[in-house]
Amino acid sequence: MSDSDKKVEVFHRVNKLKLKAGAHLHDGPGYIDPHAIERAQTVVQKRENLYRNEVEDNLKRLSKAWEKLKSADASKIEEGKEELYHYANHIKDLAATYKYELMKDFGQSLRSFCEKIDTDKKEHLAIVQAHIDVMTVAYKQNIKDSGGEQAEELKAMVNKAIEKYM
Amino acid sequence: MSESGNKRKSYSLASFRILVVEDYPFMADLLASMAREFGVGHILVANSGNEAKEMIMMFNSDPRGNNIDLVITDWLMPDGDGKELLQWIRDSKKDMIKFLPVILCSAYTSESVVITGRDFGANEVLVKPLSAKKLADRILHVIDHPRPFIKTEFFFGPDRRRREEEYKGEERRVTQSDDIKEYNERL
Repeated sequence: MSDSDKKVEVFHRVNKLKLKAGAHLHDGPGYIDPHAIERAQTVVQKRENLYRNEVEDNLKRLSKAWEKLKSADASKIEEGKEELYHYANHIKDLAATYKYELMKDFGQSLRSFCEKIDTDKKEHLAIVQAHIDVMTVAYKQNIKDSGGEQAEELKAMVNKAIEKYM
Repeated sequence: MSESGNKRKSYSLASFRILVVEDYPFMADLLASMAREFGVGHILVANSGNEAKEMIMMFNSDPRGNNIDLVITDWLMPDGDGKELLQWIRDSKKDMIKFLPVILCSAYTSESVVITGRDFGANEVLVKPLSAKKLADRILHVIDHPRPFIKTEFFFGPDRRRREEEYKGEERRVTQSDDIKEYNERL
């Protein structure tokens, strides 16, 4: 390693954010009005009534992206997988925010699996379809918790299939 | 009131300009709404890393202008993800851009994502699912605990060491004090 490689520069910046927030540089830590934080959390909770519409919309897009990917030619496969990945990610984020556990788990699992999908393998097609089917049931039956024993079994089966066919 | 008065100060974020970068409109709107409730005066939303770059260029090119003060970005996005945006910010030649505080939002809770985020120069990592408290905590951390920026051959970003802790293992640091050059910004 040459001498110049070892050089380290350290930049101590003026904390302009602290000044902008109305404090002095040497003041201790401040806070955001707890009522404002409460109000912000209420905004999050109020939007839970949009959850079903949002999930429905994303599930439709996800299913459409899946149909497109299944029949895509080689040059479009990566693009198709990316599209599927992003809708699964949106559903997962949404479900995690409002604690719809089953939907979150399958959204997350599908998102992870997207990177590994081989559309030439029928087992992979079945795994993706199983995810979409469970998510559709979770939506239709408005399942908020982890879905009970049956859902746990389904999760275990899908995980086993992923392990087996990877 | 200052700390000497033993009272913590309630921050006003009215003059803050925050850029939210999120490809999913519902989540972008949620983040923006929370920030608005905190009293943030100016909130911009970009749907992709590429759109964010354009906005940052527009707002942070003039040091006397109304610059973006803080970027809150999602990690996984099509059309320019969070990692690429962070790299672009930290590689900028302009001080108003390269020192921009960035909070990275990630759904991954694993340590590796936090480390990756830090290695790419994120100031803070906000782990999803989102909540108002988590967001407020991360914003406060950026305001109250700014870290010096470090530049080495392989890294530019906030100092990745959070605390000074005694290290009992073998000394692996190769940098001697003569190799450290410090710059202090003045108002």
